[in-house]
Amino acid sequence: MTEFFRWLVFLMFVVLAPPVSVGIIRKVKARLQNRIGASIFQPLFDLLKFYSKGETVSEVTSWIFRSSAGINFALVLIIALLVPWVQFKPHVASADIFLVIYLFAFMRMMTVLAALDAGSAFGGFGASREVTLALLIEPALVLCLASLGVVSRTSDLEQIFSFANLALSNQPGLWLLAGSGLFLTSLVELSRMPVDDPTTHLELTMVHEAMILENSGRNLLLVEYTHALKLLVLFGLSAQCFLHAIAPVWQLPAVLISAASGGAVLITLALVGVQEGLSVKLRWTRLPEFIAYAVTMALLSVLVAIAGRLGS
Amino acid sequence: MTLSIYELAVLSASILAIFLLGTTYIRTNLGFYSAQTMAIAAATMLAGSQREPHLYVIALIILLLKAVGIPVFLIWIADRIDAQTDAGTYLPAPLSMHLGILLLGASYILSSELPMMLGHGQGSSRIGATAAMSLLFSGILVMLTRRIAISQIIGFLMIENGIYLFALTQTHGMPMMVEMGILLDVLVGVMIAGLLLFRIKKSFEHIDASQLTQLKD
Repeated sequence: MTEFFRWLVFLMFVVLAPPVSVGIIRKVKARLQNRIGASIFQPLFDLLKFYSKGETVSEVTSWIFRSSAGINFALVLIIALLVPWVQFKPHVASADIFLVIYLFAFMRMMTVLAALDAGSAFGGFGASREVTLALLIEPALVLCLASLGVVSRTSDLEQIFSFANLALSNQPGLWLLAGSGLFLTSLVELSRMPVDDPTTHLELTMVHEAMILENSGRNLLLVEYTHALKLLVLFGLSAQCFLHAIAPVWQLPAVLISAASGGAVLITLALVGVQEGLSVKLRWTRLPEFIAYAVTMALLSVLVAIAGRLGS
Repeated sequence: MTLSIYELAVLSASILAIFLLGTTYIRTNLGFYSAQTMAIAAATMLAGSQREPHLYVIALIILLLKAVGIPVFLIWIADRIDAQTDAGTYLPAPLSMHLGILLLGASYILSSELPMMLGHGQGSSRIGATAAMSLLFSGILVMLTRRIAISQIIGFLMIENGIYLFALTQTHGMPMMVEMGILLDVLVGVMIAGLLLFRIKKSFEHIDASQLTQLKD
């Protein structure tokens, strides 16, 4: 019964939370800029609007363009089921680190293929930038998760992020480094503020928005929802790292952990909003310097993991 | 491996020094230098609660002089001589940051070769030595790879921080008078270097240290 209840809550969360989380980021950003801002449910209404709109598809596209939105939607659902981005996620058999990393890479490949398939110049720009960023950011993502895996001696994400894991229970430094590494990686991966400004009107300079420019109607609904869920999963993952980092100081009773993990995700989303309010978009040639900080966090957590392995 | 708060403060100083390596903006560099010195002041205070109480006074002076005073003075100078960023570094900033991490790992290995001078808490002594040597290496890296003179001052200050941290973690601490003397020396050194910067800027129109190798009369 509790397992059924868990699934129910989790499924409701997966359906409703992604648009709302985008709304929360926008609301925090608006409040910081002295604006009232749209309601946090506005992205949800936008998705409903896309559902009832007609669809225009370029004549030169092939089946790749039509199928990529659906494939990405399916992939992001699998990722959301595998990655422990909230503690009340129902148990699944095996959530291997490398499976998850390459599912993300698969998603990126499908997005890039769809962007190139439409044959517009914007899609080509966006795809080229996306692939360049992916190349730079992948070591950070792999090393952050792998260093956690090395200390806990398993590659199963669910075991790494479970509070029952004793090897990682008293490692605030490692969690903090890996968490901030993942956070910076997510900013690049989701093309958020210092990397790409998703709110400008000029698609010429953008990464993700330039790639999805050809989508409309229900296709756009799928693409937007997929991106929102990916955002929630990635920021949720770094939120769990931060929660683990403060766990030794602030002993949590087991009942509260689920609630606290949801709260951590909320706080991280608010943090993203604050960060977007404060930062400016970096020039494209300065981006490697920003990404270097994500890689640095990852390398430092690798160092901590190796030192811990040598010490024990 | 679990770390005490003292060790975390010491290590965060060396990690902030590594972050400093990754950016060439003078203001950001000085911000990181200030944060790193604050971490050292916190470590000094924690050491004071375990060992000699005179370290509290030293911590306060470090906080006021090195974490606030010197960065503010250097930012003022940087504004006056219009040096916002270190344009040409010999090594790209991201690479020198990753080299800094490598050197942090190397100093962890090196620190096991050191004779442990401080009796209590062998582990804490080793982490302290690691952080101090890493700070030293980061400072040397800044001095070697950066071009403009104000970055050279920052590198020099980081080396000074490293040496101070080594003394703090490896010995029972120097007498108060010696510490005060060192702090005064650092202050006077930075002041003189700042005045020299004005002179260099005035006579050469730039502060690129790599072009100051030829003597003229």
